[in-house]
Amino acid sequence: MSTDGRPYVESSVIMTTVRILAPFVFTFGLFVMFHGASSSGGGFQGGAIVAAMIIMLAFAYGVEPTRRWFFNEAVVGLVGGGVLLFAAIGLGPMLVGGEFLEYHLYGITDATKYGIEAVELGIGAIVAGVISGLFFAIAHGFEFRRDQE
Amino acid sequence: MLTAIEAVLLTFALASALATVVLRDVLAAIVAFAAYSLGLALVWVVLRAPDVALTEAAIGAGVTTVLFLLTITRTVRPTENVAKLKSIHWPSLLLVGLLGAMLLWTVPAIPAVGADAVAWNYDEVSQHYLDNAYDDTHVENVVTAVLAAYRGFDTFGEAVVVFAAGVAVLAILKEEQFT
Repeated sequence: MSTDGRPYVESSVIMTTVRILAPFVFTFGLFVMFHGASSSGGGFQGGAIVAAMIIMLAFAYGVEPTRRWFFNEAVVGLVGGGVLLFAAIGLGPMLVGGEFLEYHLYGITDATKYGIEAVELGIGAIVAGVISGLFFAIAHGFEFRRDQE
Repeated sequence: MLTAIEAVLLTFALASALATVVLRDVLAAIVAFAAYSLGLALVWVVLRAPDVALTEAAIGAGVTTVLFLLTITRTVRPTENVAKLKSIHWPSLLLVGLLGAMLLWTVPAIPAVGADAVAWNYDEVSQHYLDNAYDDTHVENVVTAVLAAYRGFDTFGEAVVVFAAGVAVLAILKEEQFT
């Protein structure tokens, strides 16, 4: 990622650090999404943490290998799946005559709490997918330019 | 008044904001801007807004910096002897100074941090949520209760806006896939 045209040189220090960090940060991202119900956090924050980690992986291992691992279907699945999950949970109560997002009509214990957590997970998927997708979409042109030089 | 840690954090945020403005080199300005975001995130923690701090640290200091860095790789970086700092445009400085003075003028109207008074006019609404959020939704974080239950339809709209923004960027970049 240098501006003077030098290609990115893999650094074993950065790669090892990021490899050790990655599982913890991904878990922390999921924790922030789920635990938003009981402490600070939520879908938007958790999704941003997950996306930041994906971008860190791309920094450490290069954009192209990360792109092969994080293929387009995964991004589209995250973003579209998140919207569909939120919409499905929201529209569910309307099937039984309730209103949008009337969680307690699901009829299970603490339905509202689990409903909110599922919604946060959907939001997290959308945010993580869109932010990392933006990164790869913009980085695409960068790698093309480096090949030309 | 200010504690030592607040003073240090605010000075850091102000200094890095100033550095962002006056540095001529775009790369240096981006790094200074990331430092400013990180300082601001810590200020949010001190002000007991951890939700905002998490977002500021991840988006402001992390993702935005990376997107800016990617963008400037498509520009050229002048290597000749150019001044390190930008020259100041005095009329703009005057205008910004006036606007800043106007905003600072409203500060005394805000209650101090931790004071009994409330910063909003109709605190019955907030008090209603604080009193009933747990019984209504069984979640302990009132922010989440408002976000995903009381105003869930708004949040659905916000989530779809994020989705639409991603699609719009693809359309602008004339790409058909993200990766």
